Amino acid sequence: MIIAVSGKGGTGKTVVAALLVRCFTEMGREVLAIDADPDANLGEALGVQVERTLGDIREEMLKRMESMPPGVSWRTALEYETHRAIVEADEFDLLSMGRPEGQGCYCAVNHVLRQIIDTIAENYEVVVIDTEAGLEHLSRRTTQSVDVMLVVTDTSKRGITTALRIRELAESLSISFRKLGVVINRATPETEQRIEEYAREVGLEVAGVVPEDAEVRELDLMGEPLLKLSRDSPAKRAVCGIAEKLMELGA
Amino acid sequence: MEDIPVDVGLIYEGERIRKSSMYVDLAGPKSKGAELLLVVPPDEVEDGKVEVVGPDVDQMEEGGRYPFGILIKVAGEKLEEDLEGVFERKLHYFCNYIQGFMHLNSRDIIWCRISKDAAKKGLKLYHVGKVLVNLYKSEFDVIEKIQVTFYTDEKAVDEHIARAREVYEKRDARASAIKDEDVDVFYSCLLCQSFAPTHVCAITPSRSGGCGAVTWFEGRAAVKVDPSGPIGEIPKGEVIDPVKGEYSGINEYVREKSNGTIERVYLHSLFDYPHTSCGCFEAIAFYIPEVDGIGIVHRDFHGVTPFGIPFSTMAGQVGGGVQSQGFLGISIAYLRSPKFLQGDGGWRRIVWMPSQLKERVRSAIPQEMYDLIATENEAQDLDTLRKFLEEKQHPVLERLKAEEAKEKAEEAPEEEQPAATMPELTVPVQAGAGAPVEFTITFKNAKIYAEKIIIRRKE
Repeated sequence: MIIAVSGKGGTGKTVVAALLVRCFTEMGREVLAIDADPDANLGEALGVQVERTLGDIREEMLKRMESMPPGVSWRTALEYETHRAIVEADEFDLLSMGRPEGQGCYCAVNHVLRQIIDTIAENYEVVVIDTEAGLEHLSRRTTQSVDVMLVVTDTSKRGITTALRIRELAESLSISFRKLGVVINRATPETEQRIEEYAREVGLEVAGVVPEDAEVRELDLMGEPLLKLSRDSPAKRAVCGIAEKLMELGA
Repeated sequence: MEDIPVDVGLIYEGERIRKSSMYVDLAGPKSKGAELLLVVPPDEVEDGKVEVVGPDVDQMEEGGRYPFGILIKVAGEKLEEDLEGVFERKLHYFCNYIQGFMHLNSRDIIWCRISKDAAKKGLKLYHVGKVLVNLYKSEFDVIEKIQVTFYTDEKAVDEHIARAREVYEKRDARASAIKDEDVDVFYSCLLCQSFAPTHVCAITPSRSGGCGAVTWFEGRAAVKVDPSGPIGEIPKGEVIDPVKGEYSGINEYVREKSNGTIERVYLHSLFDYPHTSCGCFEAIAFYIPEVDGIGIVHRDFHGVTPFGIPFSTMAGQVGGGVQSQGFLGISIAYLRSPKFLQGDGGWRRIVWMPSQLKERVRSAIPQEMYDLIATENEAQDLDTLRKFLEEKQHPVLERLKAEEAKEKAEEAPEEEQPAATMPELTVPVQAGAGAPVEFTITFKNAKIYAEKIIIRRKE
């Protein structure tokens, strides 16, 4: 199952993505986490160090091609480098997309890269992609079909508008998804119900509500990985609830 | 397959063995290894033999990392050394058909893993060898005898790597010498048609794609892996012009794939029927009529060309899949081609290039020409360029002077003679800082005499 987590900056999207990864691994699933948001840092939230991103590899490869001996194909070399860039934590693997490309021709490299990532992704029961609101990585490099698109929003009306925009954008970029759901993050008892109702009014399905969690806020503030979160953190419990629902849906 | 403890089949291709399910790591970024396939005389092959020099899987420690070498010797009446590379690349695919065996990359940068499940079922390198023997023989009738050796002992792996590198080097030297006339099939790439719908990239041993990513060898590899992909085969057909590089096969193919827009293509010339330019080429070769020479500018150069415009502006006017007279999007590798713009005089016609690029391709520039080519340090505009070329006695000046002398002699002739050697020239023009109006003016065999020309925006 491929799950893309998007949403505008500041909504706690990366936190939700990281918690999803943890929930799935605790459920015993094989998980590939993909960091497709150059402005976020999923690796940091998951407590792992990323050394090379696909962006780095792509640039290196373009430079290396010129001196590639005729008997060597850069596509197999690119596949190798992509596998090499995967950070292997004990419970999950992580692939970071890095910066978007600069000038120059990336057509051939990106075409092959997409095939490589698709093939790698097939090895996992669950793929969680943390993607920016513009969905640029999703449309250009990673797989174009996701099973579930989760849009994380805060409890503002504007957040819901963003969710609607992301749905339109995904459709216009012909990214196919079976299901799109909103995750209302940092909900408080006062706001929860009203924003949920509003989301339903505009035709958005609510995949889950994640409560405001002082512990998450503290870790986030200190830049600490979320694996330090205690087992019964309300935010984590809520995200794990979403993960279980998704798994049932996928089964 | 009998006696093999795991399944073998296409469906296992692309299998990634994760750290948590891995039994052993073989070669890879944190160790070393190499694979090599050799065509040898029949008496040097013991058909079907599989040997493991060093520990086999059952003697390896779980979670361990080992250096790893694969040597395959094949023999057959119809086998030639040139097939070694083709067969060797197959190793990657064949190995990956084996359930629980991961194989990445090629040559001396391989990386393999065996899964815990496969190890538990009793998979050994010996079995991998047996599978390879079977797959090679069933896929290639020409292989009559085959023998497989694995190395996991460090010293043996080191020796194997050293021998393999020698062979790769010889193989590459042979391959690099391949010319357009040595092959029957060229390749095409249609990847850029998404933004340049009439662009059909013709790829030959002497001309790689403008992006630099698709060489003839890469094309050959791509067609084998992804036969229905964006890279296809072009039958070469008849040679129409060996110097400019015109082939009937390319013309037919391009005509069809550009929906009839492009009729003819010269691979090695900027004039008449230049190759179309995609948009993502690494460099542009551009004709400078004032000195009758050719300049080259590459994407990484952010200054201006002697035309007063930078790469980006020129690229915007040249790309998009059209034939632009006097302009050609090229790869940097093409500068090293022995046929580099040979239809226009090759390096003897080159007058300007950025210093960084000149240094980068230094070894490809004929020695006697190196100092005659101006860079942004010597020539920033047409005046300084012309002065530099005169100072250096660049060969384009002889042509130019001969031409001018002829023109003088012909002054006020009874009948206007069209300039015989002046090729058709299209000048891309971009309007000033205002509206981005673009238009082209085409002169065909033109002679224009004027004291002064004023071009003014229509009110």
